[in-house]
This record gives sequence, structure tokens and C-alpha cells, in this order.
Amino acid sequence: MPGGNCLKRLNSGLNSRLKPAVVGWLNLFRRKRSSKDTFSPDTLSNLFRFKYSCFKMLLDSNAEFLKVISDIEERLQGQQVFGMSYVRSRAAQAVFHALRMVKNLDDLSGHRYTLLFDILEKINLKIKEALGKRKEIPPTELILPYLQINAEMVDWVGGKNANLGEIHNRVHLPIPRGFAITTRAFESFMVRNELFDEISKKKVGIDPDNPETINTTSEEIRQLITSAQVPAELEDAILLAYAKLAEDSGIRVSMRSSATGEDSELSYAGQYLSKLNVPSDQIIHAYKEVVASLYTPRAIAYRLNKGIRDEDVAMSVACLQMVESAASGVMYSRNPFNLLEENIIITAVWGLGPYAVEGVITPDSYTVGKNRQTIAAEISHKIVKLISKPDGDLIEVPVADDLQDKPCLSQEEIDILVTYALKLEEHYGCPQDIEWALDKKKRLFILQSRPLRVEDYGKGYPITPVLTAYPLLIEKGRTASAGVGFGPAFHVVSDQDLLNFPDGAVLVARHSSPKFVMVMKKTRAIITDMGNIAGHMASLAREFSVPAIVNARVATATIPTGMEVTVDAYSGRVYQGIVPELESFQNACECPMKDTPVYRVLREVSDWIIPLHLLDPKSPNFTPSFCRSLHDISRMVHEFSYTEMFQLSDFVSDKKGVAFKLKVSIPLDLYVIDLGGGMTETNVHLNSVPPDKIASVPFNALLRGIMHEDFQKSQLRPVEFKGFLSVMREQMLSPPSKTERFGDRSYAIISDKYLNFSSRVGYHYSILDSYCSPTPGMNYITFSFKGGAADDIRRNRRVRAIAVILQSLDFTVEITGDRVDARYQKHECSLIEDRLDIIGRLLQFTRQMDMLMNNEASVEALAKNFLAGNYNLKNTATTRGQKSEVRSQESGGRNDSRKTPWD
Amino acid sequence: MESIRLLLVDDEEDFRTTLASRLKRRNIDVTDVGSGNEAIELIRERSFDVAVLDIKMPGMDGIETLKHLKKIAPLVEVILLTGHGSVEAGIEGMRLGAYDYLMKPYNVKDLLLKVEDAYRRKLLEESQQRTQQRT
Repeated sequence: MPGGNCLKRLNSGLNSRLKPAVVGWLNLFRRKRSSKDTFSPDTLSNLFRFKYSCFKMLLDSNAEFLKVISDIEERLQGQQVFGMSYVRSRAAQAVFHALRMVKNLDDLSGHRYTLLFDILEKINLKIKEALGKRKEIPPTELILPYLQINAEMVDWVGGKNANLGEIHNRVHLPIPRGFAITTRAFESFMVRNELFDEISKKKVGIDPDNPETINTTSEEIRQLITSAQVPAELEDAILLAYAKLAEDSGIRVSMRSSATGEDSELSYAGQYLSKLNVPSDQIIHAYKEVVASLYTPRAIAYRLNKGIRDEDVAMSVACLQMVESAASGVMYSRNPFNLLEENIIITAVWGLGPYAVEGVITPDSYTVGKNRQTIAAEISHKIVKLISKPDGDLIEVPVADDLQDKPCLSQEEIDILVTYALKLEEHYGCPQDIEWALDKKKRLFILQSRPLRVEDYGKGYPITPVLTAYPLLIEKGRTASAGVGFGPAFHVVSDQDLLNFPDGAVLVARHSSPKFVMVMKKTRAIITDMGNIAGHMASLAREFSVPAIVNARVATATIPTGMEVTVDAYSGRVYQGIVPELESFQNACECPMKDTPVYRVLREVSDWIIPLHLLDPKSPNFTPSFCRSLHDISRMVHEFSYTEMFQLSDFVSDKKGVAFKLKVSIPLDLYVIDLGGGMTETNVHLNSVPPDKIASVPFNALLRGIMHEDFQKSQLRPVEFKGFLSVMREQMLSPPSKTERFGDRSYAIISDKYLNFSSRVGYHYSILDSYCSPTPGMNYITFSFKGGAADDIRRNRRVRAIAVILQSLDFTVEITGDRVDARYQKHECSLIEDRLDIIGRLLQFTRQMDMLMNNEASVEALAKNFLAGNYNLKNTATTRGQKSEVRSQESGGRNDSRKTPWD
Repeated sequence: MESIRLLLVDDEEDFRTTLASRLKRRNIDVTDVGSGNEAIELIRERSFDVAVLDIKMPGMDGIETLKHLKKIAPLVEVILLTGHGSVEAGIEGMRLGAYDYLMKPYNVKDLLLKVEDAYRRKLLEESQQRTQQRT
């Protein structure tokens, strides 16, 4: 058992009163190894089920933990605004899931891993320390004028307010006058009315399976909020701030949501309420309405799904003087339609802004050079405009005849806007997409500024010309994420490659994979032979602003590791060498969050969560005391959990009257333990059971696959010499304790409807758990496959081949290193049986898959062959992907008359 | 499955009773009390399968309650409810033998699943103990 030595030290003597019965038994199995012991099937049945329930919880938390990590990594890119509440909640989730993993490993092993609790606690302490470094002084103000707001105050005033404050105070540009109603105000309103308590009570009524309950609860909560009393001092503060703003002129304001925390993006996405044209006597009511929009059905569902706690969101409100727009529009600080020119584009319409972007009318369009020379001015015919009615509604009205063909902006106004655009681009460090408005007194305001996302404007056609002076390697890839990146190519085949990925390289791979998220920080661009622009990786690449081309077809063939390339992901081209003309576009975006104290806290916290130091289970350092991050802990727990799962089975198989050897004609060392109803009769004296006496529905299905005739025909597959050597070498290098486990022993713990199957067929181990009953809701298969001989790369190829196969059978699949965890649930019994049959075949099929995994193409070739029902690996040994594809088609694909799920 | 005997301990009465009534609808035999002391008293008198404890309670908090409860009835599986990011309490609780913990907000369905899992594990422990006593 790997790590066995170190674990002995772990028996730190847990308080005996806490040691439950099962623990005693688990340890009994460990100590007594005399064949005289007898164990009742009941005892064993309980032990297995106990262990498996721990194992399952452990796997669940492992998956969740990895999700938290990739989420944090995304934020570390520095492009999304976040506050301390985000950092805190993510850190708590990471610790929680690591803890659950430790706890379940400790339970299933009979408390031999208590040391891991100490280590977890130490790391948690470090995390707490890092979190504590940023002492926030929560604002005492209920109202903050924009003069006092900047980007770091996002937790107090929300994303929208924070950005407006930043533009006003740090870029020094005019924004509409107004003030922010802070989260302190929100809290006082909610607490004074005991709304948090009321809401959490109401939320108990939500049944996520029944959307109607979300709707009714939402309505009740919003009703609660809008009918609550705003505390007198808050009402006074808001009205006083309004009075200062209005200076007796009775102006109207807009009240816009500016939520904090993870919901801050929802504010931008228009998920929360904004009220326009609010007169003074309705401000307080409008405030409550905006606050209540935190609990729209959509927002509630969003938070439930994402696991965001209500405590972590708060609603701040932006209260801005309505700008009576004479004209308004959008401006790009760089031409998004042709990147080779550095011009500023301004579009303008009469009236309100939505008409400038919605395409209702063609706006005026000005192209201005950075030297402020107007290069082109296209004045369009503008017959209508959008204005707001006194009641706040927006309506379309005709434009006066004499204005229809007149430019919306004077030369002077254009000059001013250009100055603003340049300043914003300079401040934020990347091209900006800016909303502006011109009021009737000819004053210009900035309403919003955000990074320009060029890919939104290219609409799929190339927006850069072909540069013939450079060797063109890829001509027609598809843009998954626009941008330009250059650097040395680096091929990624396995997870190991991702771990070794060099900073500043260009990732080249056969398929796109969301796992690339691990290196999004390091990579300058991504090129894949295949992939989908709407896929998960594509959206991650866009999220991280990493230029990415998919469907490049020949990238892995034409671009070797180490070659310097320039990736023009605006137009789907790759050039050899560095192309200076494109150089200026690469990674244009500096990351605005990176200089903030909150970012530094996340960085520091993540250092205790994300880095993985324990890569090699065979290393002497693969012990609890070397765990330096939560990731280390989770990796180790996952590894040890498999060892622990096998220990009991190994022991039990030697016992008479408990485990029965399955009598089959193929070489299969399979022991069956019946928990009840799994066998029709047994011969206790012979200690064996023939397959026709098995009455367990899921086990029978699995056996059908394992004993599929194709595998019985071809017992020995030719083994390619190179592959064979590699497997041999691996065995020689492994410590003896590990080689011992290579006895091809499998265990089936069964009842009439239940199967837990653990096997070491070949050199891998796999654990399968399934329930198969007439009630689809109860049915499931969970399948974990891990390890094996052969080097890491082959091992990983095999795991990916298995993942491809399981995915195409509608399993949900997670790959981590050389492990794949898959689940399939809530399906009819017949579908479960079909899947089990195929897994049975898969287990046989993979027996010597390692040795055949010579190259990357073999991953798909093997998966394809398998799915086509071609289980004879003979000619796939030297795999040329296309060749074997043809072969399997020629042979008619399925040489199996049984109906398979993909029929 | 027999009806699960569940002890719900939370000082917030409204919250507790709403949750209790929802769990009862799912055929769970719920008894709810408002403090750790009441819970301890009750557990001396009656048997429970699963206890759901709020960590943050005035007087005897969830962790203290857990300690006492495990002393009296080691086989009862305990699920802790934590609010405001009290990770430390969670670690402490799991160490002390809590079955699992749930971070607020959670939905009732998740709690229900956990309760069922905890119950199944408790049955395992119980039957294991019986076998142990026989041998």
C-alpha cells in the first residue's frame, strides 16, 4: 500500500467514545489475518456499504473542490471585479470540500488519517490569516457622493457605482451628478425590518424541482420588501442627498441597481431593476423596488444554482440625475472592425442611446485618428429618436425635419469625446467600449466604460488582412476567442503537460478541453485541430481573453513544440515567427483588478488552495506532512481512498462461506459476495458459483459484457514491443507492495438490485457501484477508473479514451490526472443494464489498452473502434486514426446482434 | 424505509417550525427544540436516528451540543448547519464525529438527502454493533 508507512504514524488514538462500531470492525479486518475468522455476510455487507457511502461523498467533494479552484483561477486573471465577500466565500467552499474529503477518508479507513485534520486546520489558519490582512472598515455612510467613490469600494457600492466613481475621480471625466446608496443603507433597511430572517423563512418553501415555488416565494419576498418601512434616518439621508442634487429644481433621477459580490455582473447584464425618470416623491418607493429585485425568480434561481449565499450579496443603488439627452451614442477607443488601424469610432443618434446600438436607425459614424484628425464622417438620415416620457417610459418620436440630416455632434464635441476615449483607454490599459450622452446644454457625460470585446463586432469575417510577407501555417481556423498572441508552441496531450506548461507559450492540442483553464494564465494563445466555437473551452478562453482558434485541422501536424508562432485569432490564421504588424494587439488588456488590495488577498489565499506539490504517489514525499495546499490534501485523499476501498475486499476473498468464486471459462479471478437475493443457490463447500445462479440484475448485465463472445475468441492480443517494455519497466520500478496488487482479482458485492464491483483486471483499478430497480429515480451507475501500469502519458491517454466512450454513452464524466469518474443516473432499468453491459466490455477492452496507446491518435481510434463494436484490438495496435476508422466501417462496425444504446 | 426519527435543534423558532413542517411532509418523524440543553434532555429520554444542529445558538452552541450528544448517544448521526462562514466550527464538528455539515443557504432537498444518507449510515452502524455483540 503506498504511503502505508507514514500512515502508521497516523493512529493518534482517537477518543474512543467517538469510535463507532464500524470503525472497530474496519480495524479488526486490518489486524486479524487468520483464516479461522468467519464473518457473516451481514457484517460484510454493512462494511462494504459503509465504505462505499464514504467513498461516494469523497468523490462528490473532490469534483466540487476542483470547480472552486477553476473559479478562483478565473478571477485571478484580474479582469472581473470582485470584493472580499467573493474571496471569503470561495475560500470557505474550498476548505469545506477538502474537509469533507478528509472526513470521509478518515471514516472509511477506521480513523487512520486523523493527522490530515491537523494539516487541514493549519492550512485553514493560514487562509484565515491571509483573509484577515485586509481590514475592511465598513462604511458608516448610508449615502456616498461619487466624489468619494473608487473601484476598490465595490463591496460597499456595487460594481456599477464603483466604476462610475473611478471614472469621475481617477480619470477625471464628467459623469451625471448623483450619489450611491450604500450597502450599509441596504443592511440597515433589511435588519431594521428583520427582512433577512423573514426571507430565509420564506425560502424554506422553495423546492428547486418545482419552479412554481420559486415564483410564489419570489413574489412574497418582494412584497415583503416593498411594503417594509425605510428607516427614518435612511429616508432622511436619501432625501437630503436628493435635495442637494436638485437644488430646488425638481429634477428627476434614475435609480439603478448596483449589486455587490458575485451578483455584480447581474447588474450589468440588466438582471436587476433600473427605474428611470423617478420624481422626488417616488424615490423611496423606487429604492425599495430596486432592492426587491434582488429576489426576482431569476436571481433566486441563479444564486441557488451557483451556491451563492444570501449573506454575500447586497444591493447598492445608483441614484443619478436624468440626463436629458439631445444626442447619445457609443464610442470605441479602437476600430473593432479593422484592427490594423488605430482609429477611434464614434456613433451618435438623436435622443437616447438604445437606438445607437439596437440597429433601429443607422447612426452617424465618425472615424477619428489618434492624432485627432477626422478620417471619415458619415452622416445618416435619422427620422426618429427615442425619448423618455415624463412617467419614465421610453417612446419613439419623429426627429424635426431640419435635424434629420444634420450631424449630431459638432467638431468640438468630437474632439472632446476623442480625448475622453483616449483617457479611458489609458487608465484601464485596454481598448474601451464607452457609452456617452450629450445634454441639452451641450455638456458631454460618460455613462459607462468597459473593455472592448472585439470579437463581438467581427461577426465571423476576417478583420485583419492576410500578411503575405510571413509564412502562413494555418489559414482557415475558426475564431473561438479573438485576439493576437505570439510565443513558442507547446503541445498539450496529458494533464502532466498542463502542469509543465511554460509561461508565455502557445498551447497546441488536438482537441479543445475545458481543462486548459489550468494554464489560461500562462498561455498566449490556443490552437486546436478540432473543437467548437460554442464549446466550454471557447467560452473560458473568451472569459480569460486568451486568443483561441479551433478547427485548425492540421495544427498539431504543422506546428511542432518550440516553433515561434503568431496567432491571429481575429481571422483564424497562424503565422510562423513574430509578425510585428500584429504584435501591438496581443494581450492588450492589462488587468484592472490586479493592483487592488482585494486582488492581492485572493492571490495570497489561493496560494494555500491551488498549487499542487504532490504529483507523484510513488514519491516518498507523498505523505500528509508534505501537504502544503488544499489541493495537495484533496489529491492525496483521492489517491488513498482507492487503496482503502480495496483492502477489505482483498481480505474477504480468502474467507470461506462468504466469498464465492465465479465459475467461468475465461481467466477471471472474480469473487462474489451476496448481500441478499443476489444468487439463487450457492455451493458452500465448493466455494464457487456458476454465472447462471446469479440473480442480481446489475451484475448479470455487467457479466454479459465481461463475457462477451468477442473477448473469449481473442484471448491474447499482439502486444507491440515498445508498449510492452514500457509496462514491464513500470512494474520493475514500482515498489514491491505495489506490484503485489497486480493479482487480477475482482470483487462483486451484490444483491438482487445492487452491485458494487471493484476490479483489477489488467493493471488498472476500477470501482463501479450501481442500483437497478423498477424506479428510474433510484437508479444509478457510478464508475471510477484509475491508475495502471505504463507511463503517465499512456495512462492518461487510456483514461481519456474511456472518457470519450463514456461521454458518448451519456455519462457525466470528470477527468483528473489518470483518473476518470463517471456517473449515469435516474434512468430506466433497461438503460442501466445496457450501460453496465458496455462497461463490462469496456473493462475487458481496456485490459491491455496501455500498450497500444502509442500516440495521440490512438485515443480516438480506440474509442471509435470500441463504440463501433469492434473489440478486436489487433489492427489498432499501431493505430493510424483514419485507417482503423475505415476498417471498422468495412467490417460493418457492430459485430454484435444485441441492441446497444447507440442503436 | 421506516420513518426517520429526527431531532432538529435551532434557536430561531420560526425557521425551525417551518423546516420541521416541511420535513414532516416528507414523512420524517421530526421533534424540534430551541436549545442545546433541551436537546440533551430529550436525547437521554428518547432515541433518535439523526440530529440536525445549528452551530450558532445562544447558550450551549452546536459544537457543545454535539459533544454531549455523542457522549450520550454515539450512534446518532449529526448534521451541522453553519451560517456566516464559520469554517473552523465545521472542522471542529466533523472531527468530533458529525456526519456532515451544510452551509447556509441550502435547499431543503439537499438537507433531506443528507438526512437520508445519515440515516442509512446509522443503520449500518447499528447492525454492525449488534453483530459485534453476538460474537
